[in-house]
Amino acid sequence: MSAESASYQAIPSSRTFPRLLHYLAPYRRQVVLSLAILLAATATDVFQPILIKIFIDRYLIPRYFPENIMIWLGIGYMGLVVTTSLLNVFQLLLFQILALDIIQRLRVELFDKVQEMALSYFDRTPVGVLVSRITNDTEAILDMFMTVLSSFVQNITMLVGILIAMFALDARLAALCLVLIPVIIGVMVLYQKVSSPIFHQSRMRLALLNAKLNESLAGMPVIQSMRQEHRLRQEFGDINEAYRRIRFRNTQINGLLLRPLMDVIYLMVLMLVLGYFGVSSFSQAVNIGVLYAFVTYLSRFFEPVNNMLQRMNFFQQAMVSAERVFQILDNPSAAPKQEGTEDPRIHLGQIRFEDVSFSYDGVTDVLKHISFTANPGQTVAIVGHTGSGKSSIVNLLMRFYPIERGRILIDGADLQMFSNDELRQKIGLVLQDPFLFVGDVSSNIRLGNENIDQDKILKAAQFVQAASFIEKLPAAYHAPIGERGATLSTGQRQLISFARTMAIEPIVLVLDEATASVDTETEEAIQSALQKMRHGRTTIAIAHRLSTIQDADLILVLHHGEIVERGTHQELLSREGLYHKMYLLQQGGSSERG
Amino acid sequence: MRVFIDLLWFFKRNRSRYLGGIMLLIAVSLLSLIPPKIVGIVVNQLANHSLTRDHLLWALAAIFGTAVITYGIRYWWRILLYGGSIQLATDLRTQLYHHFTLMSPQFYHQKRIGDLMAHCTNDVQAIQETAGDGVLTLVDSITTGTVVIATMALAISWKLTVISLLPLPVMALAVSHYGKLLHKRFALAQRAFSDINDRVQEYISGIRVVRSFGQEAWERKNFVELSRDVVAKNVAVARIDSLFDPTISVIIGFSYFLSIAVGALFVVHGTLNIGQLTTFTLYQGQLIWPMLAFGFLFNIVERGSASYDRVQSLLTIAPNVKDRPDAIDVTPNGDISYRIEEFHYPETALPTLHQIHFTIHQGQTLGIVGRTGTGKTTLMRLLLREFDIENGDIEIGGVSIYHLTLKALRQAIAYAPQDDFLFSATIAENIAFARADASEADIERFARVAQMHDDILRFPQGYHTMVGERGVTLSGGQKQRISIARALLQDAAILLLDDTLSAVDARTESEILDELKKNRAGRTTVIATHRLSAVKHADLIVVLESGKIVEHGTHQELVARHGRYWDMYQRQQLENLVTQGGGPS
Repeated sequence: MSAESASYQAIPSSRTFPRLLHYLAPYRRQVVLSLAILLAATATDVFQPILIKIFIDRYLIPRYFPENIMIWLGIGYMGLVVTTSLLNVFQLLLFQILALDIIQRLRVELFDKVQEMALSYFDRTPVGVLVSRITNDTEAILDMFMTVLSSFVQNITMLVGILIAMFALDARLAALCLVLIPVIIGVMVLYQKVSSPIFHQSRMRLALLNAKLNESLAGMPVIQSMRQEHRLRQEFGDINEAYRRIRFRNTQINGLLLRPLMDVIYLMVLMLVLGYFGVSSFSQAVNIGVLYAFVTYLSRFFEPVNNMLQRMNFFQQAMVSAERVFQILDNPSAAPKQEGTEDPRIHLGQIRFEDVSFSYDGVTDVLKHISFTANPGQTVAIVGHTGSGKSSIVNLLMRFYPIERGRILIDGADLQMFSNDELRQKIGLVLQDPFLFVGDVSSNIRLGNENIDQDKILKAAQFVQAASFIEKLPAAYHAPIGERGATLSTGQRQLISFARTMAIEPIVLVLDEATASVDTETEEAIQSALQKMRHGRTTIAIAHRLSTIQDADLILVLHHGEIVERGTHQELLSREGLYHKMYLLQQGGSSERG
Repeated sequence: MRVFIDLLWFFKRNRSRYLGGIMLLIAVSLLSLIPPKIVGIVVNQLANHSLTRDHLLWALAAIFGTAVITYGIRYWWRILLYGGSIQLATDLRTQLYHHFTLMSPQFYHQKRIGDLMAHCTNDVQAIQETAGDGVLTLVDSITTGTVVIATMALAISWKLTVISLLPLPVMALAVSHYGKLLHKRFALAQRAFSDINDRVQEYISGIRVVRSFGQEAWERKNFVELSRDVVAKNVAVARIDSLFDPTISVIIGFSYFLSIAVGALFVVHGTLNIGQLTTFTLYQGQLIWPMLAFGFLFNIVERGSASYDRVQSLLTIAPNVKDRPDAIDVTPNGDISYRIEEFHYPETALPTLHQIHFTIHQGQTLGIVGRTGTGKTTLMRLLLREFDIENGDIEIGGVSIYHLTLKALRQAIAYAPQDDFLFSATIAENIAFARADASEADIERFARVAQMHDDILRFPQGYHTMVGERGVTLSGGQKQRISIARALLQDAAILLLDDTLSAVDARTESEILDELKKNRAGRTTVIATHRLSAVKHADLIVVLESGKIVEHGTHQELVARHGRYWDMYQRQQLENLVTQGGGPS
């Protein structure tokens, strides 16, 4: 919620609305059909008072009631009423389905865009903000299409229909009534002008209120331990009061300019019509049926107008949401993609870094001139302190970020030439944080890959020694997994994520070793699983515990983005450098721990 | 309608406002009877050619007068009623906020912030609508309905009134039937929406897994399915929704038809004149709104009532930690002694702490070390009474912390928690959080102690730089140092630093520790840490493992023991070496 505060506000431009309307283009047929039905419904609707006018003028006043015509008039009138309603049902339904379809499209478009975004975008944007764009903002736009647009179209059609009917009845009086249009437009413009700053302010103050609330809830321990409850209540009270005041202003403006004012205008026009008939009655006979029809039309005329006025705020809200959505759609950030048409394959799993340097922000290099080769089946371990650039090596190898300087080759082909599928199929990544999805154990191992059947899931789980604990779960492989796998221990989550990686049978393994502490039993299971997984696979391992990588074919010691030492465990020990010191101390520590 | 009784306290408190509003509403419904009546009179005079210039002017003037007066009254009741509902929402938010400040951490463990926010926004909004539009539609539909029907029956023709109202019960039935269906389908649509929301949330949180396993296509399929489901559920809603208005129009059309047809008969028989018939149909038009409003009312009240229940159930949760009846309001001082037999968090069965017995003398420094999850933070939270111990006690200067008021206890303690939470305010305001009136000199002094002063001066607006989303992004170490300065500024007898030096580099850490020693002479400091260098000079170090004290003593004693502490110490030497790039040791 606080994420919705000032920094993520968008200001709609004059291009926002036309761009939004553009989404109607693929539905041209449906739009035309709905409009046609709407026109028909309006016509039948507007015709109803005319029938009554005919009845009054031709039959009621002369007291002439031929049975036949009376029956037909009755049937005609009810027929019009029913037809109007039926047409309206269709028209309303069509418009709503149309709007829902458009929003579904927009959502998928947004989702596709998000799929293409570079990972760096997700580093910078809070999850809540993105979720809100895809769901809540599109929902606000839906409101616009569903209620605002369709009711605006409907209301305007209705107004035009009523005007036409009035002209048909008495052109001179109708022309007089046209005065209404500039008056109503004037009120609308005035309302828009006066209410829009208030509307914006009220949104801003609400955002402020929410931000304050959110922050207070998150920081409550601090507030309480520092005994600032009273002060914070006061501060919140002030914001709350400011919000109340602006809402009250809004009520005042609505009261001055909306329905009450429209009622006054209605009564003025009623005076005009009565006056017109009254004055003309002094010189000639007047048509009472026409008077009746006019009065009815007038009372109907104001309902659509009131409707539109009331929805103007929704419209503004929808424009703000649309602008935010478009900002995402226009974001130039894009994840690296396949280049060239060679479509190479990974068979052996040789990995080669050639003079790779990398920077996230374009200012400080987190990797400097990294070069090494992992031959098929070999294990290359990378050690170093936090922030030494270990994870960046993984990020580049997984092609999460574009490589700008240097090259990474897999089986001799440039990383950029591989298809996404090939990379994801052949390179198995084990992340430090084993993220589990809501579902069950099987679905978390399979991860939507339809080539992985239950048999493969079992094998993978057995391979990483996760089977024993999984089978003890209430529903074994179908045991439900809650949000982020909260029902399982860290070690168990880790093992499931191993199984997930092994299920795709990768040629290259990338391990980002977990730092989280797990109990000894699981720790052993994890270590022996890792040994088995590495066997026969090219492995790039980021290690925090030196004991796990002693048998690596090559160990790289990273410091501030540079490789400061390299060699096998023995070679590095004999060099008596940084690695040696690390080893000695860790040995000491672990032997004592026993 | 029960919610109106629930809200009676508010209506009573604002008696004059609501009584006034209702009177005005009644006045409006009476006044709006006038124009149709006048139209009827004029029509009659036109029909029998008796309209004179004076009559016409009189009629127009009457309409004009009504227009002006109604405008004023309509504005006025809006101010009264809607103003009242806005006040109610404001009051409820204040109550909720006040209540939140009384709740202990246990409450925040059980509730999600998002849900609490939703209560404060959506639920309060729904209640506001009940008190505004709800009251309005209730009063308006009853008064307008009664007044209009009464006038139609008494002043024109009761027979015609009964006949023309015949179709209306059908409308009431239809509206309530649709309403029920709509309610059910709407709930389904809401659920579909929240499904897609959860899914997107999870997808974005797990984006790295999604990318590294190449699940994009599958995720897309999943998303498209869910979004189609949202459409399907909403179409089901739309099917009912689009029946609503047309059904009502048919029924109203039928009602008009009846009154014109039967009314015409009456005109022929001479029991009614044309003017009356015209007036009658105009009145009928005025009935449409109250009828529709009753349908809306049903919705508004249902939503409001559910929301009111949710807000009330939140407000009735009693705080877990509160002052005992015999608590004294004296700020404690002196030695701190822990005597905890066992403690476990309310939601967990396994004990978090076992057999914790030790005393730290006034003016000494206590170090608490151990791995994550061994109970270091818990020790501090228990001292602050964020949770209450059932089996054991903590004393400060010989007085049990349970015999003190929370205010007095917390007065004695300055706490720099692990998650260095800063507020979206300026750096100065953050440091002065505990004493908003602190002088700039004080703020600067403690920023210096926390080795943050130079960093702060490098920010664009120095001490007045905003922190957080709309300001500078601080590093972990900078946040920690501000949090330390904030705690120091409280000038409390006891200072708790909960791993607040972890992101600070070794040199800065030792500078801060030196400054602390100078500044806090005679006062007690408790430092919980992963990093042993922070407690090297402590007077007492307790080593925790799985909630138990496994070793205790000074740094020298513990190193000499070659136990857990020594083990940890060795590992950290390594970490230091590695961070420094393994230079000559």
